[in-house]
Amino acid sequence: MRSTAAYVLQYWFFYLKGGRAHTPLHEQFLRQIAMCSSSRKISRRRFLSLSAAAAAGALLYKTSPTFAQASDRSAQGLRPQTARTGVIRVGWEAVKRLDPAFASSDSEIAFLTAVYDYLVDVTTTDAVSPRLAESWRVSEDGRQYTFKLVPNAKFHDGKPLTAEDVLYSFNRLRDPAVGSPKISLFDNLEQISAPDDLTVVFTLKTTEPDFIYSITDNSAVIVRAGATNFETEFIGTGPFKVERYIPEDRTLFVANEDYWQSGLPYAAGMEHRYLDSNAAIEALRGGELDVVLRMPNARFVALQNDPNLQTVTFPTSGHDALRLRMDMPPGNDPRVRKALKMATNREEINAFAQLGLGSPGRDAPIGAYFADYFDPDSPLPPYDPDGARALLAEAGYPDLTFDLFVPNTGTRPDFAVVIKDQWAKAGITVNINLVDEATYYGDDGWLEVQLGITGWGARPSPQQYLDFSLKSDGKWNESRIADPELDALIVKAGTSVDRAERIAAYKAIQRKLAEDGPLIIPYFFPTVGAARKEWQFEGGFTVQAFPGRTTFTRARQA
Amino acid sequence: MRATARQRQTQPLQIVRLSMARRGRLLRRLWHDAPLSSIGALGVIGFLLLALIGPYLTPYNPTANSLSERNQPPSLAHPFGTDNFGRDILSRIIYGGRNIFALTGSATLIAVGLGLVIGLYVGYLGGWLDQIVMRLADALLALPSLLLTLVLLGALGNSRFTVLVAIVILYVPIVTRVVRSVVLDVKTKAYIEAAEIGGESRFHILFREIMPAVLPTLAVEGALRFSYAIFLVASLGFLGLGVARPEPDWGLMVSEARDWYALSPHILFFPSAAIVVLVVCVNLMADGLRRLLEYSEAD
Repeated sequence: MRSTAAYVLQYWFFYLKGGRAHTPLHEQFLRQIAMCSSSRKISRRRFLSLSAAAAAGALLYKTSPTFAQASDRSAQGLRPQTARTGVIRVGWEAVKRLDPAFASSDSEIAFLTAVYDYLVDVTTTDAVSPRLAESWRVSEDGRQYTFKLVPNAKFHDGKPLTAEDVLYSFNRLRDPAVGSPKISLFDNLEQISAPDDLTVVFTLKTTEPDFIYSITDNSAVIVRAGATNFETEFIGTGPFKVERYIPEDRTLFVANEDYWQSGLPYAAGMEHRYLDSNAAIEALRGGELDVVLRMPNARFVALQNDPNLQTVTFPTSGHDALRLRMDMPPGNDPRVRKALKMATNREEINAFAQLGLGSPGRDAPIGAYFADYFDPDSPLPPYDPDGARALLAEAGYPDLTFDLFVPNTGTRPDFAVVIKDQWAKAGITVNINLVDEATYYGDDGWLEVQLGITGWGARPSPQQYLDFSLKSDGKWNESRIADPELDALIVKAGTSVDRAERIAAYKAIQRKLAEDGPLIIPYFFPTVGAARKEWQFEGGFTVQAFPGRTTFTRARQA
Repeated sequence: MRATARQRQTQPLQIVRLSMARRGRLLRRLWHDAPLSSIGALGVIGFLLLALIGPYLTPYNPTANSLSERNQPPSLAHPFGTDNFGRDILSRIIYGGRNIFALTGSATLIAVGLGLVIGLYVGYLGGWLDQIVMRLADALLALPSLLLTLVLLGALGNSRFTVLVAIVILYVPIVTRVVRSVVLDVKTKAYIEAAEIGGESRFHILFREIMPAVLPTLAVEGALRFSYAIFLVASLGFLGLGVARPEPDWGLMVSEARDWYALSPHILFFPSAAIVVLVVCVNLMADGLRRLLEYSEAD
């Protein structure tokens, strides 16, 4: 406390002398304040579990990296040196929920990714890779998944990781009393058991080849058995420990010296700064931030020319779907659905809304991202506005007018503006109703509107899009499609353990949707990221399809 | 005595009945004293003309996209360049100006008219009616303008008509207050007393005797309201309210261009400049108007 007061005074004098904010001294000041308060808390906790000497040592060690970064010009030689250097500063939107069962935004998941570990991780191509589970096996009948845990993982408070923690973590997500929105992911789960301390077995009710993706879900981090105060206590096995969380401002992380993947992370610390997208981009350009992973496409394209930055972008499976209700006129007429497809120039929409960064869509939620599952030759009606006009006249709708409901976020408004112009060439009038995203999704209004543009986030498997929105009994069947043949194909794709059979089913689904579906999906979103060149990323600078899942353990300051 | 007093009070109205020579002299004096005000007035007239005949001059559809003409910098074909949908920015500004004049002009006229009538009545009659109306006006004035508009847009629906209603509700109390203050001063004048004693009807007293004295102040106030209304409409457009994409609206254009400022700054610059220039011109014009009325009064 005394040293906090000293810093306040020092900073005040500095301020009086005309010092500016956001200088190294200011940064140091904030760090010092943060450390003074958090070190007290940690030392008390450590006092209970460790010897006093070890606690003192740990504290010294803990504080050194941030000091080294903050005052590297003045006092570097005097501080104890570690192999880890630098604090990587990442810009995110402010976090609200830090409970894994409820966290959802990129910034919240980024926080979880730093502090906790997943059992199984997704790679940037949405293949799966081992993390806390060093290996796993699927039984012959496809109903049992057996995971072997790494033997040397420890929680930040020193407790070794055991199967009990994994059981607790997953049972918490499944517990109706907790009320996690992820509960339905584990509907098919019969039971989880732990034959020994380092083995976990998931038993399914029926075969589900994509079940491994439920294990990698954003919320499925492994927490300490019995933990409940997730908004204030951040005890994981992850590569970074929370040093200080300042709501609405920043989170300071230090490297977990006892991380089970020895040598990781390379950085001494990480800082999440909570800013809006525009401020984050300016901070990145000005050298106040090292990494920004979410931004409008136009801002990203401008950053691509910045000599101080490295950028990365690739298309994901996330997309915007323009969908028409099929249970009322005019959407119940297949000629109308075909005419709308003919009146749409998807390449032009992709070029306008995604600036060519996205990948082309073919009116099905399965894109090039899913490699083998994607059918690049599905029979889409060719672009022909005059043909569309004629077809509409034939169907008895010569002067079609639509109210198009669009949530006012991302690239959806741009999509709407282009479709209005394109459909006008086929004699269709579109009135764009831009609504607040909360309004669009609130009270399930988005399920009711006749014509709407719904955004679907990136998912590691196409199955969820199909199960939720294109099956006749789907929870979010917004187009009210009810096609028994399609239902059968979706079930087959989601349960078959024969890969060739799944591929055939997915391609058949795409053919159906291209010919006569209620959806127009012109593009799949890109994921984008920009980082300063002072940081090198082992294996190259990459971003996950869900940007919050990006780890910075292999970032090294040049 | 009665005649001269009334004469003086009604003089400002007669500016429209002045001889060409005197009118010219006043305008020359304004140009000499405050050239900026004259330029502002000319600017407003220019914008108005552009709004009236501009649509017939521009060869481009303000809402037609063109992939091949995206983000073009200013050129002869597109004097203000094109935006990220390949739409001609000058055409969009002209059409947008048209909407701004139609909306804010009509809203200001309605607000000024209503405020004038209410102000005349409550100012002249006084008493409990005056108390109630003015306390109501106080209550309305206490509400932040943008907030009240947002509430109305939420309640009545997101449309131009709601914006018009909002502007009227916001400005009527302000105009009422200004008019009332002038009326309170004028009604103590001897010629009003004379008219009352002469048995003139209340309508005659309000609109023939008092109103002419109010008009100069009202003209200046109206011009100021007009500039604030432009600003409010632009702010709402920026928030995406009162207009629907892809309609050309200056505020909405600024909002849409934000992401592009690093790549194509002209998309952001021209609509922003249009708002600034028009608002400054209207304010300068209001100042010029005030001066002109002062001159003619002093004459």
